[in-house]
Amino acid sequence: MDIAGIGGALVNAALVGFTGLLLINLSGIEVSGPTFAAVLTMTGFGLFGKTPLNVLPIILGVYISARLIGKRMKDYLIIALFGTALGPLVSALAWELGLPVVPAVFAGLTGGIITGFFLPSIAVSMLHLHQGYNLYNMGLSCGFFGLFAAAFIIGFGHSWEGQLYWYTEPSILLMLLVPVFSTLLIFTGLIHGGKQSLKDLKAIQSIPGRLPSDFVDMASVSGALLNSGLIGLIGSAYIYFVGASFNGPVIGGLLTIMGFGAFGTHLKNSWPVVAGVIIATLLTGNSLNAPGPILAAIFCTTLAPLAGEFGIPVGLAAGFVHLLMVLQTGSWHGGMNLYNNGFAGGLTAALFVSVIQWYKTNKSEM
Amino acid sequence: MKRKDLILKLIGEMASYVLDEDPMRVVISLHQEEDGLHLAIIDDCKHSDEDIEQLEKTLNSRKRPELAAYYGAMTGHDLLGSSRLNLLGWQIKHSDVVRIGDGIKIDLWLGGERFDSRHFNIPEKEE
Repeated sequence: MDIAGIGGALVNAALVGFTGLLLINLSGIEVSGPTFAAVLTMTGFGLFGKTPLNVLPIILGVYISARLIGKRMKDYLIIALFGTALGPLVSALAWELGLPVVPAVFAGLTGGIITGFFLPSIAVSMLHLHQGYNLYNMGLSCGFFGLFAAAFIIGFGHSWEGQLYWYTEPSILLMLLVPVFSTLLIFTGLIHGGKQSLKDLKAIQSIPGRLPSDFVDMASVSGALLNSGLIGLIGSAYIYFVGASFNGPVIGGLLTIMGFGAFGTHLKNSWPVVAGVIIATLLTGNSLNAPGPILAAIFCTTLAPLAGEFGIPVGLAAGFVHLLMVLQTGSWHGGMNLYNNGFAGGLTAALFVSVIQWYKTNKSEM
Repeated sequence: MKRKDLILKLIGEMASYVLDEDPMRVVISLHQEEDGLHLAIIDDCKHSDEDIEQLEKTLNSRKRPELAAYYGAMTGHDLLGSSRLNLLGWQIKHSDVVRIGDGIKIDLWLGGERFDSRHFNIPEKEE
């Protein structure tokens, strides 16, 4: 929005989201919890980093990887959709290295395909690291790959630093975008499921949320829509309350957590982690409405399964550590991984999972 | 995935599920055919009707290729926390859960595209 204006950003977001929907449709997969999350995440990040052009080479790379081992695109669909977090790497290779147009396009295309090719293998390994307790596993995977990409680019003498564009102009349209969409989801859920949707919403609150928790399957479509809408409304209220800007990253973040409202996130498993981020923000002297802390407060819900499975104290501690981590990790991959919170969340989850597993495995029961 | 790896993952996840209830007796039986296999798990723990219904529903959930190939890698491997039989349900052809003695018997059938499950006498669903 700071670069292309509100209209340009919204059109780009819609195109990126449509690309995701088209891919899901071509793969023959139904829209359910994970695909709903993926489309909303892609749309949201279309407001701040993804474009139809920088996501396509990565998707192609994932497809080639799948075919190499005899799998179909539908098998790696989730990896392809979320793997587009490395779109800025494609753009950087194409436009930031100072190459003439044809070599630049070739560099971006090749870099994107290579990136996508590596993602399935990395994604599966990263899952084992946190055992499904970091919802944005592709954030961790893309961050991990981004470390190598940044090292290569810098190693060959190119400087690359991510830049922060933070739109701060007040806009009624942007303020109302998520609340109106959330209300629409809530009404759709209520009309579709009636009283049962409220029961399903209650049932969703008791699910730990660990990957892969498809609330559409585990509860119902209407319950998932209600949960998603509620998360959007409460998230928007938080942004309004702390006086943060409703800009591309913030709206993108809200759309992402709404998407994951059908795939692992709910109010009961999220609040401890958010509270941990807020406490850490205040104790470190940061402002709650500064870019880093506000995005951490939204995206820290990637760690919601830790609170859902191991309780409130673990959730609070995880949120606390997450804020401190996420303020550092962006520079590690030069901002090439859009899911920086997923990267920091994955590292945080891996730390907590290691300690909890060590304790549970070694504590004497006899 | 190599057959041995798949079997190890399935046994791991099922064992994790039944051991959560702290049984005194568990039997795991494997019967392999060229293009399919049958895995039976028997425990001696008490299970409510709701538990069994939920178990059967989870194991016979609709196939999710987009989740099975990716998140299915955690089956029988990442066992910290509650067991996740949905990971397993996406990868098998059919499952039955029946009461046996004090506990239950869980039958899992798997096979490739050419696998003829009739060889394993999967019971017909009663209408």
